[in-house]
Amino acid sequence: MENPLSAEPLFHIGPVPIAEPVLVTWALMAVLVGLSARATRRLSVHPGKAQALLELVVTTLDAQIRDTMNRDPAPFRALIGGIFLYVLLANWMSLVPGLEPPTAHVETDAALALIVFAATVYHGITGRGLKGYLATFAEPSWVMIPLNLVEQITRTFSLIVRLFGNVMSGVFIVGIVLALAGLFVPIPLMALELLTGAVQAYIFAILATVFIGAAVGDDADRPSIDTPDTQDPPP
Amino acid sequence: MTIDWWTIGLQTINAAVLIWLLARFLFRPVAKVIAERQAVTEADVQAAEADRTAARADREAAAAVLDKVAEERTALLAEARAEAERTRVSLAETARADMDRERQRARADMDRERAELTGQMADEAGILATEIATRLLTRLPPDVLVSGFIDGLARSIAALPDPIRAEIGRDGPVPLRAARALTGPEQDQLTRQLTEVLGHPVGLVITPDPSLIAGLELTTDHAIARNHLAADLDRIKSELTAHD
Repeated sequence: MENPLSAEPLFHIGPVPIAEPVLVTWALMAVLVGLSARATRRLSVHPGKAQALLELVVTTLDAQIRDTMNRDPAPFRALIGGIFLYVLLANWMSLVPGLEPPTAHVETDAALALIVFAATVYHGITGRGLKGYLATFAEPSWVMIPLNLVEQITRTFSLIVRLFGNVMSGVFIVGIVLALAGLFVPIPLMALELLTGAVQAYIFAILATVFIGAAVGDDADRPSIDTPDTQDPPP
Repeated sequence: MTIDWWTIGLQTINAAVLIWLLARFLFRPVAKVIAERQAVTEADVQAAEADRTAARADREAAAAVLDKVAEERTALLAEARAEAERTRVSLAETARADMDRERQRARADMDRERAELTGQMADEAGILATEIATRLLTRLPPDVLVSGFIDGLARSIAALPDPIRAEIGRDGPVPLRAARALTGPEQDQLTRQLTEVLGHPVGLVITPDPSLIAGLELTTDHAIARNHLAADLDRIKSELTAHD
């Protein structure tokens, strides 16, 4: 019997097996990049409806990053925004008949968590310096170094397991109900999957923001280019 | 459960590439246009601020001009009031002087007219008095018109200085006017009394003159001796007129 948790290769490119999540991800990439390139082809200072929607998404994303990290969101915008959009659309792939969300496979979630982990380390070192970043593992005391090291691993795993468990369980439930009850019975569950997918995308993105923000540290004093935080504080 | 490491690697690469592509085609362009709009808005705000500053400066300049105009207006009004006051005072003084002059002229005219009227009335009064006296004397006896005045004429001549009195009648008869023709006794009495007061005989050329009303008048080269009512009336009229 086929293991529903494993990603069976659909074909091979040389020695590299290409599984469904990879194929779906490529399709999502094509769609996302294609729509983005089309939408941003003729941007103007006086926006139309589509541009206004795009700007709303970007400004909301910036506000979320700024509120969480308390610093200029520009260096983190593409990473957090890209992860959010990809996870959101990947989760919603469960609505397409015959397709499984790439995030319902642990490999995809692990890949995303690896990227977050790498970004955490990268921004921590660039923000604090290598010594400063390593010093954060000894906070509040050197006794905490083992626990902080373990935390780096466990929270990355928590990212993987949380997203994988929620999406995979939703797919399983819908599949089971569809097999047992009939064609239209799982529709409410699928609608719930829409909400669950959005929530999980938001949680994954916001946790990534929190992890990276914790790595780079609080930097409220750093001047921001496009944030209202540069205003003088009230007396 | 098995882990496909190839899939993990491919998905990692896919996610990294997707993030890069989205940054390239979505986030950077949108963020850039937002920043451009913010810059444009900031420029507009600064331009509006500059315009507001300029407008404020213009308003202050206009207010200064209005204040200056108000001050000039006040000064001009004060000057006009002062000029009007000076003109009013000058006109008042001129009018007062004109009124005084007219008043003095009117008073002079009135005085002159009153003097003329008084003189006229005096003349008429004199004429009337003469007429009254003449009419009243017609009720008296005729000798009253002369005899009663001979003594008075003699006293008037006696009151003259001696040199003048000595010259009277030296060069011939002396003209004498009488209110009527003298009778013989009246001529004798007159000649005798004149000879007494002159100290030498004197001849008389007597001329009746009813204008004397009553009395006599002796005329010489150096003196006139009057003693008649016409002269008295003239004297009384002159005194009354002088008193006015």
